[in-house]
Amino acid sequence: MDPAQAPGVYEGVANVIAAVMLLLEFGLLRQALARDQIRLYMAQSALLSVLAVVIAADRDLPDLYALAVLSAALKVVAVPLVLRRLLGRTGRDDEEAPGVAGSHTLSPASAVLAGIVLAAIGFFCFGALKIHGPAAPALALALAAAMVLVSFGLMIVRRDVASQAIGFFTLENAISLAALVVASGLPLILETAFLFDLLVAVVVFGMLIRAHHTRAESLSTADLTRLRG
Amino acid sequence: MSAALPIPVIQLLQVLTIALGAPGVTGVIAKVEARLQGRRGPRVLQPYYDLAKLFRKEALAPEAASWFFLAAPLIAVTAYLTIPLLIPVLTTYGLPLGYMGDILGGGFLLSLASFVVATAALETGDPYAQLGSSRAKTFSAIAEPVVLFVVFTVALLTGTDLPYALAATVRSSAGQIIRPAHLLAAVALFMVILHETGRIPVETHTGTNEFGMIEEARAFEHSGPYFALLKWGSELKQLILYTILADVFLAPWGLASTQQFGAVVLAIAALLAKACAVGCVVAVIDNSFAKLRLFKITEYVSAAFLIAVLGVFTLYLGGG
Repeated sequence: MDPAQAPGVYEGVANVIAAVMLLLEFGLLRQALARDQIRLYMAQSALLSVLAVVIAADRDLPDLYALAVLSAALKVVAVPLVLRRLLGRTGRDDEEAPGVAGSHTLSPASAVLAGIVLAAIGFFCFGALKIHGPAAPALALALAAAMVLVSFGLMIVRRDVASQAIGFFTLENAISLAALVVASGLPLILETAFLFDLLVAVVVFGMLIRAHHTRAESLSTADLTRLRG
Repeated sequence: MSAALPIPVIQLLQVLTIALGAPGVTGVIAKVEARLQGRRGPRVLQPYYDLAKLFRKEALAPEAASWFFLAAPLIAVTAYLTIPLLIPVLTTYGLPLGYMGDILGGGFLLSLASFVVATAALETGDPYAQLGSSRAKTFSAIAEPVVLFVVFTVALLTGTDLPYALAATVRSSAGQIIRPAHLLAAVALFMVILHETGRIPVETHTGTNEFGMIEEARAFEHSGPYFALLKWGSELKQLILYTILADVFLAPWGLASTQQFGAVVLAIAALLAKACAVGCVVAVIDNSFAKLRLFKITEYVSAAFLIAVLGVFTLYLGGG
């Protein structure tokens, strides 16, 4: 077999950032504390902004700088703040934030293996599509697809509302990543609209978390499997 | 300039560098570790004194043990000393014996060494030695897929699985360093090395605590020169793994590209410096993470596996 060609520094950097984002997604699968999950989400969002800056510098798209700043302000600062306050309020006085520790339905090692299978499906399906944009490293796009599937997986294997909300927010991160690499010239107004969509989602999830917590006195969705009168 | 060294001498120097450098690197790590814990720590040369002391002591063997019990440490050290012939320790160009085996060949030799030590431990009937070797075998079987995927990545990157070829590829351009496949494979290999040299996730590498005892326990029944050989063997293994990480994956610079005496001496110094640098990083990691429970080891290995598999995936879409 021929040796694989090196893709060049710009694509390399973009791909590495995308790969690290996917790894953080896997980190969420394993993480047992809501506080740490929020930290991982912050890191992932920050990487997304870094990627936007890299693409902006390489493709000469000044719009993307604005997007990077806006996205960082919203996803690295605002959303984690709101999430922390929400989880802090649902927790009792003696604990800062309720843990989501017991909510694994699979052992962490099996969850990671299941995640690898999901990521493989995402990878090879998108690889088969052969999408080549001017600014699109094919790999980063496939990594985004894998992230989408793994974040679905996260929402499925965890039984608590907080992890599911974070899974949903990282899903948005994955889609932003795909948008960045496929259509980095997307009008700023559209991207901003997406970001504010996220804000709506945060508010809705916040309501859900609180409503569920007041009714069930836990964050677990395990109690929701049977109907109550 | 200085005189050129004949090729066989350089080949011999590769082995000697590893053989004589290994205890020193262990000493440096022990010193750094002690400083991190706020102790003064042993002398850097302490491992040499330990070995010298043990080589002077008398050797005892359990009554029921056969000749294999005493042969095993010799076979293990021989295997460890063969590996430096196969990997780029000092030179960028392949030495004649360097093409005797590829990365898998080196892996086989490492496994052979570990296998004979485990078999010798079985001979003794000592429960601790058997516990150690059974754990070592079980967990290295778990880590094996990670190593395989790292080798696959190397093979896809270079079209061969010779360590010299990968080092040359990494040196060739910045694009080769920054590509995700290379970085992911390097990280996965580093995680396996941490695991194999008994740092994290469960072992305390010098401790005799039963819960996290893997490598240390295997040599319980050996004594005198044989015990010294086993100790030296695990130091050799550590330096060999560090060399593979530094000279093949992370920093294949500073190797001699000619046969000049000066270049080779510089390469020896560079190798030991790189190994000590890797050792310092390892000591910091070792001291900043809590040890896991024994059977949590699957979580750690599954993380390494994930990284290695992603490395191979990224290559399949081009671009990796």
